[in-house]
Amino acid sequence: MNIQNTCVIVASLCLISSTASAGFTSSGAQFSVTSSVGSGTLVNAQTQITPAAWSNTGGWTGTNASVTWQNNIQGWDSTTSAGFTNGNIVIRNNTSTAQDFAVTVAMLGNASAPLVAAGSIGGQYVNGSASLGSLTSTGPLWSAGIDGVSVNDQLNNALFFAQPYQVVSLGSFNFSNVGTSGSITNNASIRFSLRLSAGGEASFTSVFSFQTVPGPASIALIGFLPIVRSRRRR
Amino acid sequence: MKTTFNISCALLSLGAVVFDSRADVTHPTFEFRVFESGLASGGEACNFGSVTQISATEWFFQGLHANTTGTSMSWAYLVDPDPFITGTFSLTNETLLAKAYVVDFSLPISPAIAQSTVSGQMSGTLTDSNGSGSASMTSTNGGAVYTALADGMFVQSLMSNANQTVSSPFGTTSFSGGSFGQGLPPLAGPAINSTIGIRYSFTLSAGDSVSFSSIFVANPVPTPTALVMGLFSGLAARRGRRRSC
Repeated sequence: MNIQNTCVIVASLCLISSTASAGFTSSGAQFSVTSSVGSGTLVNAQTQITPAAWSNTGGWTGTNASVTWQNNIQGWDSTTSAGFTNGNIVIRNNTSTAQDFAVTVAMLGNASAPLVAAGSIGGQYVNGSASLGSLTSTGPLWSAGIDGVSVNDQLNNALFFAQPYQVVSLGSFNFSNVGTSGSITNNASIRFSLRLSAGGEASFTSVFSFQTVPGPASIALIGFLPIVRSRRRR
Repeated sequence: MKTTFNISCALLSLGAVVFDSRADVTHPTFEFRVFESGLASGGEACNFGSVTQISATEWFFQGLHANTTGTSMSWAYLVDPDPFITGTFSLTNETLLAKAYVVDFSLPISPAIAQSTVSGQMSGTLTDSNGSGSASMTSTNGGAVYTALADGMFVQSLMSNANQTVSSPFGTTSFSGGSFGQGLPPLAGPAINSTIGIRYSFTLSAGDSVSFSSIFVANPVPTPTALVMGLFSGLAARRGRRRSC
């Protein structure tokens, strides 16, 4: 009986150890912005808000254009058993012509397959000019990926128009339980790619989360626990 | 006689051009106030971010503010003291309890408006940011989520009795809050002496985020004198064209 209990404890420790070995840390958060406006200055400040989560606030400032974000990144550890990024991002074109923007939020780290992913994206478009405005994308406006491979795309070939000084809702899109066969070896990321007409402002709220799917050994172990407890009670 | 008349018109037009192209040296005092559970915080928006002059009368404010009671917010607003306010405001309730918020944005205007027409619009998104499987953004006591203000007084409101929910982990929902004054005829507004503003009032569930994009525009109604002057200029221009032919 004692041997059985010892085995269960050792196996449980192995399971925890295995989960904790995959690591996403706050220092792995990486923001990047490219724009047809040209080069800009990127600033990001990190604040630890829980033992496993960090708040990232910052922005990118170019010539008459800007990107600001407020983004939380949850690290991957044995207690949360999931990693995610969520937050708000605002992209503003204050130039007199249409401009392209690409913004990437990456969580650097690794995790073992199999994984399941979930996420969502919603947003608004504000035309702050006296002319008809547009927000467009060639391909997906929003993309969530692992190691550069897309897991989920939303707002493909987006095309939104707004009258002068009007607001347009971009809608909301959700996905869940998307399985991925590969491990994360470098990063999980979200990417915004869009073109904004002069005086346009796009704002988004988005989430990308993932967690491990327990392997057969782990499931067998979990199934084994009640049997052991039952035998102990007997 | 005709020559004297044309010179007078030209001087008047030059005066108007000079008046329109005057550039404000300092940015307007665009302020925000956050009220939650009886506590107030806020200040001048530029003190929590940056301000950029976009044109002779337009300014772009963007910034972040996190108070000590678990609320973080960000904004990106284009404002014109002439006046209009347009942009996006996002707020996250990082506490473990639902909270009622009132957030005021206020902009001084110049010049004062004796009689106005007004228009406004809003839409937004609600997100289950903590992955709890649910999120809600509701009107506080059935009131309006968006209220346009002039001199601190009610002008128009949108999204009364709002009840937006998300029921999937990390899910998002978008909502359109509607509009006012964007069709014809223009919607009459009040006289505005000092400020226009937008008030957001809502209750947000724990650990979740909401984002609002909105616009509030006030335009002066042309006075009879201005209308006569405009008509007069048109006639003068027409007579000038006839003479040149």
